[in-house]
Amino acid sequence: MNTRHRHAALTPVAAALFRLPTIWGTTWGRRAATSLRGVGPALLSLGLLLFVTACGGGGGGSTQLASGPGFSSGGSGGSGGGATSTGVNYATITVDGGPAAVTTGPNGYLADNIAYVSVTLCVPGTSNCQTIDHVQLDTGSEGLRIVQSALNANLQAALPLQTDPSGNPVGECYGFVDGYTFGSVRQADFQIGGEKVANMPLQIVGDTGAFATVPSSCSSGGGTNLNSVQQFGANGIIGIGVQQTDCGVACTTPGGFSAATYYDCPTTGCSTIIARLSATSGTMQQLPNPVAAMNIDNNGSVIVLPTATSGGQTAMTGTVYFGIGTQSDNALGSAKVLMVSSSNSTRGSGLLTAVYNGASLNESFLDSGSGLYIFADNSIVACSNPNYAGFYCPSSTLNLNATLDGANGATALVNFSLDNAQGLFATTFAVLPGLGANPSIVTTAYPNSFDFGLPFFYGRSVFTAIEGRSAGGVNGPFIAF
Amino acid sequence: MTTHWLPFRLLLIPVSGLALATASAPAWAALAGSVGSIEADRVHLAAAHRVDTMTNYVMHTLTLANQSQVREFARPDGVVFAVAWTGPSRPDLRQLLGPKFATLQAENAVVNHRRTHRGLTVSHSDFVVRSGGHSGAFQGWALAPNFMPAGFPMSNLR
Repeated sequence: MNTRHRHAALTPVAAALFRLPTIWGTTWGRRAATSLRGVGPALLSLGLLLFVTACGGGGGGSTQLASGPGFSSGGSGGSGGGATSTGVNYATITVDGGPAAVTTGPNGYLADNIAYVSVTLCVPGTSNCQTIDHVQLDTGSEGLRIVQSALNANLQAALPLQTDPSGNPVGECYGFVDGYTFGSVRQADFQIGGEKVANMPLQIVGDTGAFATVPSSCSSGGGTNLNSVQQFGANGIIGIGVQQTDCGVACTTPGGFSAATYYDCPTTGCSTIIARLSATSGTMQQLPNPVAAMNIDNNGSVIVLPTATSGGQTAMTGTVYFGIGTQSDNALGSAKVLMVSSSNSTRGSGLLTAVYNGASLNESFLDSGSGLYIFADNSIVACSNPNYAGFYCPSSTLNLNATLDGANGATALVNFSLDNAQGLFATTFAVLPGLGANPSIVTTAYPNSFDFGLPFFYGRSVFTAIEGRSAGGVNGPFIAF
Repeated sequence: MTTHWLPFRLLLIPVSGLALATASAPAWAALAGSVGSIEADRVHLAAAHRVDTMTNYVMHTLTLANQSQVREFARPDGVVFAVAWTGPSRPDLRQLLGPKFATLQAENAVVNHRRTHRGLTVSHSDFVVRSGGHSGAFQGWALAPNFMPAGFPMSNLR
C-alpha cells in the first residue's frame, strides 16, 4: 500500500516529520545510549514537545479554535453527528518518550512503543477548546478517555456532564488488560485531523467530586487504577478498535456491563450500575468509537508507520487515516483481509487465530495499544534480571514468524523479529521494535493467545474495520495488512 | 444441570462471611474453596451455571449476561483448584480469588517504570495467575497448584 508516499507528497510538513526521527535516532542514540534513560527523559521529551509544537502538530496548551459550522450545542447525552468534517482524513502519529508528566519526576520513565496522536476538544458549540497531545492511539479499545490533569481547568469546568434519567451525573469504569480507568462521562465537540464529532461522550479519567471514589465493582476486576498521566503513560487514550461503542448491547440493560460499566453518580458517589444506549449518532450515551461516530470515513482506520531501525530508535512519526476505501489515501489495495470476532462473541471482540510453533491460538489479536509482542515460547531465553521478569532476552536478534487465520478462511504470514528486552530498555529509545514478553514464564498452559502489539505495526499499513460497517466492499469487523 | 447444585444455595451466606465458614477448605472464596463457593460466585456474577464432569475433575462454567465465561475447576472432592475466564469483561476477581485478590494486587502494583500494558500475573508456589487480552476480550486463569489433581491436563486450563 502506498498511502504513506501519497500522504507525504501531499503534505511537505508530514514528509519532514517522517525524516527527522531518524536523525534524532542517530544523534541522541549514540551520544547517550547508556545514561539517558531514567535521567534525561525530561530533556528529551521537552525537545520533542517543542519540536511538535513548533510544527503545529499540537502542543499541550489551550487554543481558541473556530468551531466547525456543523458543531452544535446539545443537552446532556445530547445529539451528535452534526459536525462537518473537512475532508482531511488523517492525523500524525508520534511514537516518542511520552509527555512530560510521564518522563519527569522521581518515577519518570520513557514510554515504550506507545503511538500518540493529538486531539482537540471544545465545549460543545463554543470556541473554548484545547488541543491535547500524547493521547495513545489504541486499536484494542473503544472510546476517548482523557486524564483529568491533562485538561486545563477552564475547559474541564465547562465540559458538560452527561446525566442519567435520575438527573445525576454518569460515571464510567473501563477495563484494560493491566487495570482500569474510572471517572465522569462528559460531552465535547471532538476533532482529530479534519474529522469532527459534535457533542461526543468521553471519559474524564480521575475526575473529582462524586467520582473521587472508585466503586468496588470497578476495582474488583483487579490491576492498577490508571488515574494519572504517569500511570497511564499518556494524557489519554483514543480507542479505535472494531466495536462501534465501548460496551455495546451489554450495557443497554440496568446492571449490564462489559469492558465498560456505567454508573449513576449522585453527590454521595457512584455505585448503581445503569443502562446506557449504544449509538454512534443521534443521542450518544455510551462512549462511541470516535471513528464510528464521524459523519464520513466512519468504517474504520489505517495505521501507517515506517519500518523501525533494528535495535530501536528515539522516535518515529507516521499517520492514521480515517475511513477504509472512502478516500484516495485509504484504499485496501492488496492488503489481506482477515475477519475477526465481533462484540457478541463469548470470547470478546477483535480475535482471530494465530498459528505459532504449530499451536493454534484462537484468542489472538492485533493491538496498537500493547507495547510489545506477547506470546509463549519457552525455548526463547527469558531475561534473568528480575526487573525484566517475563520479557524475552535472546542473545541475538531472532527472526520468527506466525500465521494469522481469519474467520473468513484467509491466512497471512507474519514475519517478526525479537530482540533482547534488557538491551532495548538500556537505551534511550522509545521505539523498540523487537520487544516481546512471555506471559507463561513458569507454567505451560497460558496462553491461548498471541498479542501483536505496536512493534507489529512498524513498517506496515494496518487496517481496522469496524463491525457492522462495510469497508472497501467487505463487512467488518476485520483487520487487514 | 444447574439444578444439580441447588442444595448449595441453601448454604449461601454473605460473601464476606464465606471464607470463614468454609473451614474444611483453605479460606479462599472460590479458588481453593469448596464447590459451595461456586454457587456464591454464580449468584454474585448473576451467571448461568453448567457442570461438566471430566475424568479427574469437574468443570463449572458460569456464563455472565455479557457472554463472558468463568470456568471453575474442582477436584472430585469438591475443592476448587483453578478459575479461568474469557470474554468481553474481566470478571470480579475480588470475588473469585477471595483473600488471594490482595496478592494479585500487590504483585501487580506499578513500579515506576514500563507501561507496556501486559496482563496481570502472579508466580508464587501456591498461587499462579496468567492473564491477557485487550479491552473487550479478556482471558486468564488463576491456579492453586497445591490443590491441582494429579493428571489434570494443564492445556485444559482456559
